[in-house]
Amino acid sequence: MGGPCEVLAEVADETEARKITESVAACAWRVENKFSRYRSDNIVARINTAGGKPVEVDVETANLLDFAALMHRLSDGLFDITSGVLRKAWTFDGGRRLPTQSGIDALLPLVGWSKVRWVRPMIALSPGMEIDFGGIGKEYAVDQATQLAAQMSSAAVLVNFGGDLAVTRSRKENRAWRVGIESIDAGDRRAAMLVDLAAGALSTSGDTYRYVESEGRRLSHILDPRTGWPVNGAPRSVTVAAPTCTNAGMLTTLAMLRGPGAEAFLESEGVRHWVQRGT
Amino acid sequence: MAGAASAAAAAGVTDMADKEMKIGAALAAATCSLLGTATPGVSIAADAEPKWDVESAFLYYGESDDRVNDLSLSAHATRDFGDERTLGLDLSVDSLTGASPSGAIASGGAQTFTSPSGRETYRTPAGEIPLDDTFLDTRFALNGSWSQPLARLYTVNAGLGFSSEYDYQHIGANFGLTRDFNQRNTTLSAALAYAQDTVKPVGGIPLPLAQMTDVVDDDVSPGNRGDGSDTKNVLDVLLGVTQVLGRHSVLRVNLSYSDSSGYLTDPYKILSVVDPVTGDLIGRTPAPGASGPTGVYLHESRPDSRRKEALYAELRHDFSGKVLQVGYRYSTDDWEVDSHTVESRLRLPFGSSSYLEPHVRYYQQTAASFYRYSLANVTPLPGFASADARLSEMNALTFGLKYGHVNAGGNEWNARLELYRQTAKAPNEVLIGNQIGNAQMPDFDAVILQFGYHFKL
Amino acid sequence: MRKLILFVLACAALEGCASLGVQPWEREVLARDDMQLDTNALDTAFDDHIYFSKEGTSGGRGFGGGGCGCN
Repeated sequence: MGGPCEVLAEVADETEARKITESVAACAWRVENKFSRYRSDNIVARINTAGGKPVEVDVETANLLDFAALMHRLSDGLFDITSGVLRKAWTFDGGRRLPTQSGIDALLPLVGWSKVRWVRPMIALSPGMEIDFGGIGKEYAVDQATQLAAQMSSAAVLVNFGGDLAVTRSRKENRAWRVGIESIDAGDRRAAMLVDLAAGALSTSGDTYRYVESEGRRLSHILDPRTGWPVNGAPRSVTVAAPTCTNAGMLTTLAMLRGPGAEAFLESEGVRHWVQRGT
Repeated sequence: MAGAASAAAAAGVTDMADKEMKIGAALAAATCSLLGTATPGVSIAADAEPKWDVESAFLYYGESDDRVNDLSLSAHATRDFGDERTLGLDLSVDSLTGASPSGAIASGGAQTFTSPSGRETYRTPAGEIPLDDTFLDTRFALNGSWSQPLARLYTVNAGLGFSSEYDYQHIGANFGLTRDFNQRNTTLSAALAYAQDTVKPVGGIPLPLAQMTDVVDDDVSPGNRGDGSDTKNVLDVLLGVTQVLGRHSVLRVNLSYSDSSGYLTDPYKILSVVDPVTGDLIGRTPAPGASGPTGVYLHESRPDSRRKEALYAELRHDFSGKVLQVGYRYSTDDWEVDSHTVESRLRLPFGSSSYLEPHVRYYQQTAASFYRYSLANVTPLPGFASADARLSEMNALTFGLKYGHVNAGGNEWNARLELYRQTAKAPNEVLIGNQIGNAQMPDFDAVILQFGYHFKL
Repeated sequence: MRKLILFVLACAALEGCASLGVQPWEREVLARDDMQLDTNALDTAFDDHIYFSKEGTSGGRGFGGGGCGCN
């Protein structure tokens, strides 16, 4: 999940808290193991190493692929789960190593959802192409885990996987959960913003930890799949509130991809959002 | 040509608009089918931390026997400016009606008194404690305060207050400092307040122990008056410690010192003059052709300085969601009014968003050194004397219950009912002759009913 | 009264050195609104005003909102 995960459960009983936490953890590991691109034994690995041959996928994977396809269309190609191969050119470790244009040019032909043959339940990638659920996997896991917690208990539970979080319901006496959004100044330990969340989810996308520096400017780790370069003028951090974490996460990603148009995009979508831009 | 061009341009603009069309609905539907959940009907409730916190309330206070009634509207608002800088605003409006005891004692016969304005009289039936009509009076009060960190572990606060009514005006300022110790488990605080009040009673300031005169004409001043107004200054010093005792308890202890000087007398209160042996009222007839008091009544007189010291302690303890609050105050002053107050509240949450809070308070005080039930008709008169029951030996008991409910928006409605009973006693030393065993004190019951709404903006 | 003051001050001083208190991460109960010393601020202000005008003693808890022609 790329970060610390926590479960906050408003229960009086330690046994119940433990039960909920263990179920949420199991759910998180299940989703991570199934959809992580770092493993060699899951459905994603089979799809990425099929060498052009079609692979049959299960219902859950098919649902995610349908979702990704729809997002690709709705975002005019900005959101693309085949853009993962570009990481071979980029290392977002806070250093200054930039790729060469020819290096990127070599990878661009391998990027593009339109080149994927997806007819449910069969998917075929051209050789060298890869799919990467990194852009939706974590948020999807949060939603699955939150649904699970809601089924297990009537208590108020908050599931937080590294900053992408959702709640099952508001707390006792109708009080909201108070969530702090991390400040873009990594040295500032206080939250930049405190949000009262009574229902739904929050997702944050940002460059506090994953970035590359170029000419004194911080380049976002969000790459534009059409050019292979980081999005120009992207905000340093975007947080969106939506009914589900997947929904919120998609909106933060799309907002980041719009670069300078992030705020305008979120305004027109009519969702509660908080954008932080550096100086 | 122009028409076609503009039509094409319009079409181009429309295409752009389509592309910019919101994806929100499609995205929401897509996530719902992905997650297999029904479309959530309720919209997101996520707000940046509310900045304004407002408590507003309407209160009714009513005493037994048609005495004082008070209707009050109040609001207390705090505004958070971030970085722990806070602005506080208080606004209240009170409307007071009714009558309160004048300090004169009941008598076997009816009594007539001259009103404070000196222009008319009022009558008390036999056997009843004389009450004088408190003027229908409205009071406005406004307070502002500011609090902010001064340095790490230090907070400074300052406030200004103002209130105004028909015959009284108050203006005050306060300033304080707090410092945290022990990982903020201990907080020391020191504060100072200074107030200047101006009293401008109807009819003017009565001369000390001056006798109540007959009614006078509009253009004549009652002979027993001094200036039209006078002032009172109050200096308060407060030292406090707040100490966390454990995960579930916190204790607050305050030491306070108060110094009042100036006009501290109640310009409307009087004392009855009685026979030094029997304790019966000395009769009097008004001058021929005039109307006026049927007895000898003197305006009270209190010292022009009062120094008070008090110790206050409050403990709050949580018992798995229920909160018990216990407070004790001991106060002593150079008027010899010593008091003990014990008060407790217990907050009991029930359901998922409501609470009940019973409340009990017990108060007792000793009489002021110059408290008199009545004055013996001897010379010399004492330097200071007051028959105000509020300075007599007295105790009071309050029982109350508060109910609160937090609605889905996180705002709270509440209602509070309190019953108050005050019982005063005239110590035997101040009773004369037949009064012993027959003293009638203006005890009363009061009911307090309050409705409030606590919301955030 | 003097002795009482000295006693209280001594307690306060001792307390400062004692191991009373909690770690910052143990403050979840203390942070609740109903555990703050200024909860029910409006109720307390009303009550203080009523008792100030009906009894012989006032104050002790804090400052704010004094002054009326009733005592």
